[in-house]
Amino acid sequence: MTRDELQERIVAILVDEFEFEDPGLDDNLRDDHGFDSIDAIELLAKIEEMLGFQISRKEKEQAMSIRTISDILDFIETIQAAHKN
Amino acid sequence: MIRRVVITGCSAITPIGYGKEDIVESLRMGQSGVKPLRDDGLLTERIHSRVFGTVDYPIDYGFPRKDTKTMGPVAYYACQVARDVLRQSGLDRDFITSGRLGVSFSSTHGSPTVQRNIYKKFFSEDKSQFSSIGAVDYLKSMVHTTAVNITRMFGITGRVVASSTACTTSSQSIGFAYEMVKFGMQDAMLAGGSDEYDTTTVAVFDNLLACSVDYNDTPHCTPRPFDVDRDGLVVGEGGAAVLLEEYEHAKARGAVILGEVIGFACNNNGGDLILPNLDGITATLRLALADADISSEAVDFVSAHATATKMGDVIESQAIDAVYGNGRNKPWVTGLKSYMGHTMGTCGAIELILSLYMMEQGFLAPTLNLDTVDERCAMLRHVREVQDNEIRTAAIQNFAFGGVNTCLLVRDGRE
Repeated sequence: MTRDELQERIVAILVDEFEFEDPGLDDNLRDDHGFDSIDAIELLAKIEEMLGFQISRKEKEQAMSIRTISDILDFIETIQAAHKN
Repeated sequence: MIRRVVITGCSAITPIGYGKEDIVESLRMGQSGVKPLRDDGLLTERIHSRVFGTVDYPIDYGFPRKDTKTMGPVAYYACQVARDVLRQSGLDRDFITSGRLGVSFSSTHGSPTVQRNIYKKFFSEDKSQFSSIGAVDYLKSMVHTTAVNITRMFGITGRVVASSTACTTSSQSIGFAYEMVKFGMQDAMLAGGSDEYDTTTVAVFDNLLACSVDYNDTPHCTPRPFDVDRDGLVVGEGGAAVLLEEYEHAKARGAVILGEVIGFACNNNGGDLILPNLDGITATLRLALADADISSEAVDFVSAHATATKMGDVIESQAIDAVYGNGRNKPWVTGLKSYMGHTMGTCGAIELILSLYMMEQGFLAPTLNLDTVDERCAMLRHVREVQDNEIRTAAIQNFAFGGVNTCLLVRDGRE
């Protein structure tokens, strides 16, 4: 999956299932969209479903520092690369 | 500090309607909310009782996802009626978030729908599903999910009480809320209860031979409180809330006062966890009168718990007779569950609100399906047909598994 395809899918999830309005890649998830720790856990479950593998506890903890959609995309690319190796 | 406690908001979602207009019409028309049990793909086929007090009309919740993400069906009912009573009360945002308003609200056991889905995942052959059980499932299903979803949705920062005592859940919620305001711990409390559609509850009572089974083809003919042909209770669903407020505060801001809670009692039978207990129930009714400092003759109307079980109605009749039987004017008695079945943790709040509606509108609704009074219950002054009646003081009686008994005394709010 290219970065653009990944972005399209993540934005679609955020709009359709998390009720984001006009999300920007560098918006602050919490301040601009009310995205909280519960949403983060829910989103990780959806990312696992999308990728088809389980994200480790350590990786999930790292995900808690995510602040923007760009950060989400970086995170997914990083764990995808780790799971390929 | 002893303060008067008035009701400045009330709302109920019931099997006979949502809101005063619908509910009053159903009461006046003798409309039952008992319907065939819906198939849940799990237990329905194995349950003998095939009836349920059903909320089968659409409700336009319109809650945003930021609120619904922690809500199971039970919390939808709770938050809807909570929003209604806050609006009706006219309390402003500053007060609601000041810490002077608390919440006393619960359900029988959180959200069984969500709990059931959790267990499906636990026992699934596909072990990958296990990891999908998360904090959100717990927040949706935990026993105080209704109370804290209400606090979250409206930014309420006062005390939280989540009394979960089966059929006395919401009567305790209102009673404890009344005491909070009466004794000055909070200036207002949002109180009530809700319970969602759930066949596991039906299965529990069905296994105890306490559910109605003889009217599966004519659901509106059951339950039949006090009737000689009653054959047990009917489980139901719903949500109901009241806004309790300190009298001077309500008066100073010009709030419409719908009623006044003047007494509350709660005790335990101290023994058997299932069987109704005459001494325990009788003591509760007397304790409530003592709390309100009124005589039994001051009570015009009794909303009986009256689940239509064989023995429960008889024991309750004996208790009512023991407390009220010697007065010059016995109170009128109605078993309001005859309209909608037993809405479990919601029943006390619903029956209080229905009593308020009847007080305001000057009528009394009869016990539905009471065709032939069981002679063991015949000493009561049953309401047999819709009648114009200006009642001023009502007793709302509820009893629960675990031997918990409650009685709320409420007075007409008009001065």
